[in-house]
Amino acid sequence: MFDLETKELQISPFLVFFIINAVQVGIGVLGFQRVIMKSAGNDSWMVVLAAGMMVSFIIWLMYLLLNRHQKDIVQIQKDIFGKWVGSFISLIWIIYWLLIGIVTLRNYIEIVEVWMFPTINIYMFSLIFIILVYYCVSGGFRVVTGLSFLGVCIPFYLFFTFLFPIEFAHFRNLLPIWNHSIKDITFSIKDMIIGYLGFSTLLMYYPYIKHPKKSQKWAHLGNLLTMVIYLFILIITIGFFSEKQVSRQIWATLSLWKIVEMPFVERFEYIGITSWALIILPNICLSVWASTKGIQKIFNLKPKRVVIVILSILFCVTVAVQGREDIALLSKTMSLIGLCLGFIYVPLLTLISFLLSKMRRGKFEKGT
Amino acid sequence: MRIWRNKKKLDKNEKDPKKDDSFQVLLQQLSESDEFTQFTYASRSSTLCIGYYTSLIDTEILHRDIMPYLKELEVITSLPNVIPIEEVTLEKDTTIIQDQLLRGHVIIFDVNNLNQMGLAKASVERTRQVAIPEVEFSVVGPKEAFVESLDTNINLVRKRLPLPELIIKELHIGKISKTRVSVLYIEGIANKENVNTVIQRLSELQVDQINDSSYLTQLIQDNQNSPFPQLIDTERPDRIASVLGEGKVAILVDGAPHGLIGPTTFFEFFSAFEDYFLNWTVASFFRLVRFFAVLFSILVTPIYVAVLTYHYELIPKDMLSTLITSRSAIPLPPIMEALVLELTIELLREAGARLPTKVGQTIGIVGGIVIGTASVEAGLTSNVLLIIVALGALASFTTPVYQMGNTIRLIRFPFLLMAHYIGLLGVAISFCFLLIHLLRLSSLGRPFLEPFYPLRVQDLKDSLIRLPFSKQTKRPILEQTEDTMRFDPMKAKEKNDI
Repeated sequence: MFDLETKELQISPFLVFFIINAVQVGIGVLGFQRVIMKSAGNDSWMVVLAAGMMVSFIIWLMYLLLNRHQKDIVQIQKDIFGKWVGSFISLIWIIYWLLIGIVTLRNYIEIVEVWMFPTINIYMFSLIFIILVYYCVSGGFRVVTGLSFLGVCIPFYLFFTFLFPIEFAHFRNLLPIWNHSIKDITFSIKDMIIGYLGFSTLLMYYPYIKHPKKSQKWAHLGNLLTMVIYLFILIITIGFFSEKQVSRQIWATLSLWKIVEMPFVERFEYIGITSWALIILPNICLSVWASTKGIQKIFNLKPKRVVIVILSILFCVTVAVQGREDIALLSKTMSLIGLCLGFIYVPLLTLISFLLSKMRRGKFEKGT
Repeated sequence: MRIWRNKKKLDKNEKDPKKDDSFQVLLQQLSESDEFTQFTYASRSSTLCIGYYTSLIDTEILHRDIMPYLKELEVITSLPNVIPIEEVTLEKDTTIIQDQLLRGHVIIFDVNNLNQMGLAKASVERTRQVAIPEVEFSVVGPKEAFVESLDTNINLVRKRLPLPELIIKELHIGKISKTRVSVLYIEGIANKENVNTVIQRLSELQVDQINDSSYLTQLIQDNQNSPFPQLIDTERPDRIASVLGEGKVAILVDGAPHGLIGPTTFFEFFSAFEDYFLNWTVASFFRLVRFFAVLFSILVTPIYVAVLTYHYELIPKDMLSTLITSRSAIPLPPIMEALVLELTIELLREAGARLPTKVGQTIGIVGGIVIGTASVEAGLTSNVLLIIVALGALASFTTPVYQMGNTIRLIRFPFLLMAHYIGLLGVAISFCFLLIHLLRLSSLGRPFLEPFYPLRVQDLKDSLIRLPFSKQTKRPILEQTEDTMRFDPMKAKEKNDI
């Protein structure tokens, strides 16, 4: 009846903390300030809080759905909508997860191009990166989780370097509080949620969690850590830059690093971008893993071939998308799909599943 | 193709006649070797024939404990009662007889009665004395190291663990070497699953020769293509005794002065056994230094190459001038410079390892001082890089387990090449590769990066650091031991006079 994985493949519930955090913290942290401060200005810290809470609510809904079914989303949708419609919707999820991987990788390559290597060979670089992802994903979910864990722990030292700009920050910039209309703030929340996306992969790896019900608090805590990271960086950004300056910084976080100065190293953003490779790698691996698993579940294929196909698509799209506008368009499409799926479809699905189980129970009671 | 192969197999079977069990054939086969001695001896009631491999037996035992008693022998079946040594048996099976002869037994039989053969053990083992550990030397602590004799080695372990629960399972591996391999574990502590994994992997091995325990490491470890060893080899009996108490499984091989330990973790390779002889604060500090040394030795030259090839901006002004003065006259790009120096160090190491000790020292001095200084003066390398490479090499030699030290020396080369290709990003990508590789590894099915991933806080107290013995109340979770407690922590606390 239940569709959980065998015990050897499962992970401890507390690791969900790291997976949720690893998939949320990615490329967004480097440049989210400009987008949300455009309309919410110095009140955007509220936006971060509000978005975080909304995401937490959606995670709660997801657990409601998953705990009832004890299956992954592909199976749940098959049960509720039937084989064809269910699989079709699953395909949309898979495309969305794949898009997360593409957007993350493409944005990272763009940052590398702009900040470190203007002449880098995109083909070679993405190929190397994709081999890395293949090596990780072919190791199975435990390796992906392990990488998420290390990808949260090892680069964590980076966040301490943001203490350097505090010396030059004016936290009065935060005042006056509440000088933006609710409409502005709601508008920003929509943009902010993009930074939290990716948590929906939970729908796919739920059967891989040992005692999945216990993992819920860790998922919320992981989301909380993401929120704290965003808040921390945002408050420093507001203190360090004026609103006008931020509007001209596409990657404001990287600009923050420019002020870091140590006796043996300058231009810290180089080290930051380099270390960020370890932050975005689990991000891509997890989304690729989720889409691979999805395809494999729908079509009953061998995982190795699916990974190769998925990674070839990832490679082709990453290489094909060129220029700032295209990348922005891709990111926007991804976030739109993410918003619709996460904030409209998931609550709807939870509701339908709830009603269906009520109806079925009613029938069952009538039958007896 | 397949049909042909089958046919060949059949032919072979047909050619191979049913083994001739007759004893005469065996004797004939044995006497083909000149070293096999055979003579007849008339006892009181019958004519006995005695045979043995001269090199394998102790003639003193033969003359003192066997020959004088044969006179009184009346029937061959009473042999075990007549000869006063413990291993005297009667055998019919020729294969067993042959096997025992090759392990130093003397065969005694009645010329007129070939039904039963007597076998008496008179084996001699020529081995060196137990000596001081050379690979894992420690300033304090016991100074005994394993030797090539399996029985001596087991003795060294057993005298440290006088327990009936210490089980030793013996296997014979190798088609032609028939090496004795012993699997050691403590019943009631070691997890049965680990023991069975080891025994199963050993008994399923298909090889012709096992000349050293390192053969086994390569043959039974989980990933045989990984440069990282997944079983620790040690020459210290005290280390084996100690890890057996943790619930690990040890493998000792006859003819090998090193034992193997598993399951193990990546971090255990960086713990010297001496850490346990020092105070925990000092030991923890040394361990941290060693980890730093490993990271340093892998990363420092690649970072130098990356920074000097692509990222000059990273270096602060004052430091840049130092670097520029040291590099201004050098015609080679950083990668060539680094590769030349790294290869020089490798050459020195290899030459030192291949040459006799005294010549090796000379090579070290010649290489270290003359080549180093000369290459800087000749303008081939910068002195900053010379310092960096030398420090990196020094750091890589701090790894206590020799096999792991070699791995550390190897993996810096891919890092170097990637650093040359895409600078710091290359270093980061290589590092990610390393992490994923380590995540994928396992030792006897247990995760290789254990106390960190999966995170087991309890096991952290003997990984990067070592907490005092009074805090080490539980055995590591890694081994999934049957008895998880080392001792009762409550009783340990009751002692309040210290």
